Amino acid sequence: MKKYLLIVLTGLIWACGSNGTGTDEPTPQEDGKDRKAILIHLADHVIIPSYANFKLKLDAMLAKSDAFTSQPNTANLQAFRSAWIEAYIEWQKVELFDFGPAEKQTIRNFFNIYPANEIGIQSNIADPAANLEVPASYAQQGFPALDFLINGVAKTDEEIVAYYLTPVEGTKRIAYIKRLTTRMNSLLDKVINEWNTTYRETYVSKTGLDISSSTSLMINGFVLHYERFIRSGKFGIPSGAMLNGVVAPEKVEAFYKKDISLVLAKTAHQAYVDFFNGKAVKTGFEGPSIKTYLDALKANDSATGKNLSEIINAQLEATKLKLDVLKPNLYEEVKTNNQAMVTVYTEMQKTVRLLKVDMTSAMSITITYTDNDGD
Amino acid sequence: MMGINSYLKKTSSAAPLAVFRICFGFMLMGSLIRFWAKGWIDSLYIKPTYFFSFYGFEWVKPWGEYTYVLFLICGLCAFLVAIGLFYRVAIIGLFLSFSYIELIDKSTYLNHYYFISLICLLLVFLPAQVYFSVDSYRNKHIRAQFIPQWNIDSIKLMMAILYFYAGLAKVNSDWLFHAQPLSIWLPARNDMPIIGFLFNYAWIPYLFSWFGCLYDLSIPFLLWNKKFRIWAYVAVIVFHVLTALLFPIGMFPHIMMVAALIFFSADFHQKVIDRLTSIFRIPSTWLHDNLSYQSPRFLHVGFMVFFIFQMAFPFRYLAYPGELFWTEEGYRFSWRVMLMEKAGYAQFTVKGTNGLQAVVNNNLHLSTLQEKMMSTQPDMILQYAHHLRDYYANMGFTSPQVYVDSYVALNGRLGKPMISPHTDLAKEQDSFSHKTWILPFNDTIKGF
Repeated sequence: MKKYLLIVLTGLIWACGSNGTGTDEPTPQEDGKDRKAILIHLADHVIIPSYANFKLKLDAMLAKSDAFTSQPNTANLQAFRSAWIEAYIEWQKVELFDFGPAEKQTIRNFFNIYPANEIGIQSNIADPAANLEVPASYAQQGFPALDFLINGVAKTDEEIVAYYLTPVEGTKRIAYIKRLTTRMNSLLDKVINEWNTTYRETYVSKTGLDISSSTSLMINGFVLHYERFIRSGKFGIPSGAMLNGVVAPEKVEAFYKKDISLVLAKTAHQAYVDFFNGKAVKTGFEGPSIKTYLDALKANDSATGKNLSEIINAQLEATKLKLDVLKPNLYEEVKTNNQAMVTVYTEMQKTVRLLKVDMTSAMSITITYTDNDGD
Repeated sequence: MMGINSYLKKTSSAAPLAVFRICFGFMLMGSLIRFWAKGWIDSLYIKPTYFFSFYGFEWVKPWGEYTYVLFLICGLCAFLVAIGLFYRVAIIGLFLSFSYIELIDKSTYLNHYYFISLICLLLVFLPAQVYFSVDSYRNKHIRAQFIPQWNIDSIKLMMAILYFYAGLAKVNSDWLFHAQPLSIWLPARNDMPIIGFLFNYAWIPYLFSWFGCLYDLSIPFLLWNKKFRIWAYVAVIVFHVLTALLFPIGMFPHIMMVAALIFFSADFHQKVIDRLTSIFRIPSTWLHDNLSYQSPRFLHVGFMVFFIFQMAFPFRYLAYPGELFWTEEGYRFSWRVMLMEKAGYAQFTVKGTNGLQAVVNNNLHLSTLQEKMMSTQPDMILQYAHHLRDYYANMGFTSPQVYVDSYVALNGRLGKPMISPHTDLAKEQDSFSHKTWILPFNDTIKGF
């Protein structure tokens, strides 16, 4: 009965539609409201290629790491370090895909929770069987732990090399580096493998907007990434903007290397902008994206008629300008020029509102993650 | 006056009310079981550490683990009402337990729960047990085949108020001229089979908005009129099936589809009962006693007062300045359903005079649902601010001040701050008077 009535009604509406408003209505595909097209573009031209790029950099880092661990000397250390920097930068372009396989493996928790826990790392070195799967171990592995191990254990490169050449202890330390890099590699393989096998299909076929749909999971992960990991993690917490003005320069990303913290933040920010605009990783072509979807929905500021996507892009651009005036070493910036750090945070806070309230509301997506402000 | 007196003396078959009692009781029992099965008792009434009580009902608290007992009582009462056993006790129990549950936390407020509470209240005073019930089977002294016509009409009137006021609320510029919020909600369903593609067209939300508004405004009259009744009921089915498919609104469409049967003739309901007696092999002699039930006279005035109140109460928003959708002063209990896409963000800062300061992590105090509801509703923001004041006072903040950085988007407008960021909410009192610390909406939504 219900089905029958629905079909009748559908027929009626269909009939009204065909003799009614005419043919100048764009087709749904052209209209940009086709979420499947967006998901396909993002999967095939942004997400999967980004992981592939990161995989190359991580493989390169692994090779240099192996060279260093088999023969610790300053040349190998420096080669390892620059490969680590390149991989860390590339990581910023995939960290934002925190849904699906990445969320399942909680790869971010194992790759980039900082500041590194030095005491935990030392005790893991002493105990090769230490559990690296538990939340307590997040800050004892991944890029921040490597940062400590190749930049923070001593002042000069010679001293660092010596740290690994110490009898007995040195072998254990080297074993821990190996353990960490192997683990990173296998986690990334799991994520990539799932994208390349089953998840891509799942991702592009769950086209709804309910809380388990791809778009909803993606947008939740996307907004959360900006709020918690770009705004709070990289700027809000170190600058003290979120903690009553108590500055914490030691909480910047890449604290031991220090002079790459800005480039990491800028890379993450640019990757965010590019994902919003659906910029294909290989060609730079901007395909169906969150931006085109918002435009198709005609999401705008009713007071000025300005597109919401333009407003968001303008705000992201304004943030970028604030980032541009910072010096590469954010640890120093917090200590000597913290107002500029707070300004970035304030600018990002405006973006968070646009993303979390205006964008999700226009898309009819429910934010399902809970706030972590003030942590 | 003669008209009224003769109307009050008019009798009707008791069958429609009996069928309504059975359907209503079982539907309610079903929705309570569904609620339980989905784990919502735990997530909505046990897990949260703070609850947004209704003004004047602060004494209503969840029962911790025993909240399950509360639901058990409620479900049992619904079952007893359905079969008509210990009816008076059961319907009073149902009214009290159901209303109690709904009063625990504002964030779970739904108009249809309010509707259910009101119907329960009416049923407390109506003779729904005199016909085709276990009570009347066991006790021939309470049996009656006829009841006053107004008894049945009062249920219809309650439904008519719900629909008509819901329709009236849709007569506003956002709904009719901007097709908001349907312009936001419908494209979200464009991947539905068969009809999904329609939601890509900009005119479809307009069609749905106008149809929905006209439906709500006219359906009570069409259902009441014998000539249009069948077609009106078809419209009821189409409308509610569509809403059930398109929106996550739970049991409401199903309850309305069943409740609307009350508009059908006594013959129809008698046939339903005859059918039931033959299916369940119930002897039918006790159903034909030709006796009439008289409602006590004080109910005439009581019901009149009740309905005058129901018709006036939704208009209380007129007593407040500012835009209703923005301030939500007088928004609840007024049959305003699915009118707003409202999303918000509220970040609280607490400062003690002893220099302590904290940015609040809402996650530590509220569930996701509570936070979502709180961030767009000024009265809840105030309640929460008071909770924070007390919480931080215990944490050693001396006379804590509470400020909120709020940002709210309504029906496709760009978001903006809703609450004055310079007002110390710790010092503001909740009341029925206008909240002066709500920032102006600076836009107008014309209409009801």
